[in-house]
Amino acid sequence: MAPGIVLPDCVTRCYECAVEQSTPMCDPRVRDTWVVIAAYNEGEVIRSVIAEVVGAGWKVVVVDDGSADGTAAAARMHGAHVLRHAINLGQGAALQTGIDYVLRRGAKYVVTFDADGQHRVDDIAALLDGLVHADIALGSRFLGSIEGASASRRALLRTATTVSNGLSGLKLTDAHCGLRAFRASAAPRIRIQQDRMAHASELLRKIKTSGLRVVEVPVTIRYTEYSTRKGQRGFAAVRILFDYFFRTS
Amino acid sequence: MMIRLLLLSGLAATGWLVFLRRNRLPVHILTIFALLAAGGTMVVFPDITARAAVAVGVGRGADLVTYLVEIGTLFVLLHYYTKFVELERRMTEMVREIAILRAEVERAAPTAPPKPAIPAPIERDADRS
Repeated sequence: MAPGIVLPDCVTRCYECAVEQSTPMCDPRVRDTWVVIAAYNEGEVIRSVIAEVVGAGWKVVVVDDGSADGTAAAARMHGAHVLRHAINLGQGAALQTGIDYVLRRGAKYVVTFDADGQHRVDDIAALLDGLVHADIALGSRFLGSIEGASASRRALLRTATTVSNGLSGLKLTDAHCGLRAFRASAAPRIRIQQDRMAHASELLRKIKTSGLRVVEVPVTIRYTEYSTRKGQRGFAAVRILFDYFFRTS
Repeated sequence: MMIRLLLLSGLAATGWLVFLRRNRLPVHILTIFALLAAGGTMVVFPDITARAAVAVGVGRGADLVTYLVEIGTLFVLLHYYTKFVELERRMTEMVREIAILRAEVERAAPTAPPKPAIPAPIERDADRS
């Protein structure tokens, strides 16, 4: 390459062999996609999650929802864009903050991804494949696989799916999987207003009422001791239902 | 008689507080004073509530007052809950905007143009030494 010629952003040149190599950013789909991760006191695992997602070439924004640990610093250190809520608002609010940010940065596709290490990076591409003929792709662990979940957790998830389907009118196999992808054009119609965990049910209702095309994509969810400890308990369902019905503005 | 004195004192104290914090429209103040006056009248002349209860088909005056208080309490609860949810929504929007702005400022900081150099102070008495 002649000196003075600037390489495109997606091309790097090996300093030892001078061979030019394209990076994942050469793929327009990778270039136009942002992964949004809401995190609250996830300093213990956020490093490995961000390293994995950024290492695969995806652009990541982490919304630190008022954490008291080193979540923000760890995420920034591993190459993520970091937004910080001054106070803890909840996962729904954090996701919407991240979505607003990436839309302002020109994202065409948005992926939501959990911070606790439950999701596999490989599933991001599968979700984006699902967007070829849909506006929203929802991950489904019941179409894919679940690793490490107890029988009681599976039963709880099945029950939650039945309730959510009843509330939203959609017929899904998995209603509360945090791994989702959607086109930027769909974002205004599914704007999250539920700050806390009821956002998942709110999202499904909005998908149904807005008439967006939705597809379910098989994904793998890995339950670890950490993610199980951090996850929702059964009694949280009561609060989610209260928020869903009464905390609307 | 003791209870009447207590109730009237409570109503008078409420009226005094409303008067001290009169930062609302006159219609609001007048409505509150009308309610307080109605309450005072019911305390001094309890027969009025009994007659009003019979007139509207409720057995006792105390029952009528209880029902009115229940409706009033529910109204106030709903009013303030709606306000609370709205305030929470506004707070979320504010925290969100601050988070995004801060990130954009931090991102822009390394490439921001350098600040103009501060001119050296003019030494007015340079030749003094």
